[in-house]
Amino acid sequence: MTRWRLVDDIGPVGDAGLAAAANMAADAALLDTVVGGASPALRLYRWTPPALSLGRFQPDDDVDVDACERFGVDVVRRPTGGQGLLHGPDLTYAVAMPLPAGNAGSVDAVYELLAGALISGLARLGVDAAIARHDGPSGPVCFAGQQGADLRVGERKVCGSAQVRRDGAVLQHGSILLVRLPFDETDLLRPRPGSYPVTRAQLRDATVTLEELGAPTDPRVVADALVEGFAATLDLTFDLTVTPTLDLQSSQRVASSDRRG
Amino acid sequence: MEFPEQLRYSEEHEWVAVDGARARIGITDFAQDSLGDVVYVELPGVGANVMAHAGCAEIESTKSVSEIFSPVTGTVVEVNSALDDAPEQVNADPYGAGWIFVIEMADPSEVDALLDAAAYRALVEAG
Repeated sequence: MTRWRLVDDIGPVGDAGLAAAANMAADAALLDTVVGGASPALRLYRWTPPALSLGRFQPDDDVDVDACERFGVDVVRRPTGGQGLLHGPDLTYAVAMPLPAGNAGSVDAVYELLAGALISGLARLGVDAAIARHDGPSGPVCFAGQQGADLRVGERKVCGSAQVRRDGAVLQHGSILLVRLPFDETDLLRPRPGSYPVTRAQLRDATVTLEELGAPTDPRVVADALVEGFAATLDLTFDLTVTPTLDLQSSQRVASSDRRG
Repeated sequence: MEFPEQLRYSEEHEWVAVDGARARIGITDFAQDSLGDVVYVELPGVGANVMAHAGCAEIESTKSVSEIFSPVTGTVVEVNSALDDAPEQVNADPYGAGWIFVIEMADPSEVDALLDAAAYRALVEAG
């Protein structure tokens, strides 16, 4: 039995949400604590107001800033890679842990390890998810593509994840679609020059929400199922702990220095 | 999986090609295969001083963002700017067109502490 820390930012009745910058600062701080020798941690959280998160090196030009303002959507840069993702209708998990030695620490092995826990959690909600194994199309919209890092139900993506590795530790976070908002990434991200835009219909076809699967969408219920899935699959006991120090200054530094384009 | 005999290797999966006091550095065939399709390389700045086994660049694949470590101490004197437009060269030709940066070594004897091809192959195959 291994002890992990649990940072539960969902709230007792599932109505809590943090601002985008605070969420990304907390995840970065979670990784810092593990690099500093703390035990692995699982964090569960939501976003208020809705936010578009960009991959670490995703071009600024992908964002339709006017549209984001119009829809009341914050924009934040993740410490992890990947493409643009709308948060608000989702529940987000983050895991920070030391990299296992040897091949067990490979990108694929860590994804598979955590996918097993996520799949077990989703199964408790009646959702039969599997690891997506094929490479999807490239473009600015995360949920329009599938990678080995993602989970699918049938052929439709239900959870997208991303990783960053630093100083012998890994931060992996990912987004589980609960419901849909009236707007989505196709309203907030612009197509790249020379590429076909992803349409709303294509994005909806490529993805599925827990609501559409007839599963519970109450964030508290989903969070509890994920905690049980992690505990059972990885043989963990959790120690509840507080959200890591919100170093907003550090988060803003990331946002201003790591962009390209 | 290729392990060219003339190169030296770090345990962090970088390769080093030594030419006098200069070391050309990239990531190994094993590393590129593990990362998957490389979509972006954040190159170090020319003139930057780097320490052996410290992170000095970053590489993003479709699955992960990872640090690239310099296997030796010294100054960055050249970077592979072609990767800005063609990061996939790291996958296609990791020991050739996918090279990442060149270090003017402060102490070329540091190379002696790196792995040779047989030792690196053993490390990878041991898992």
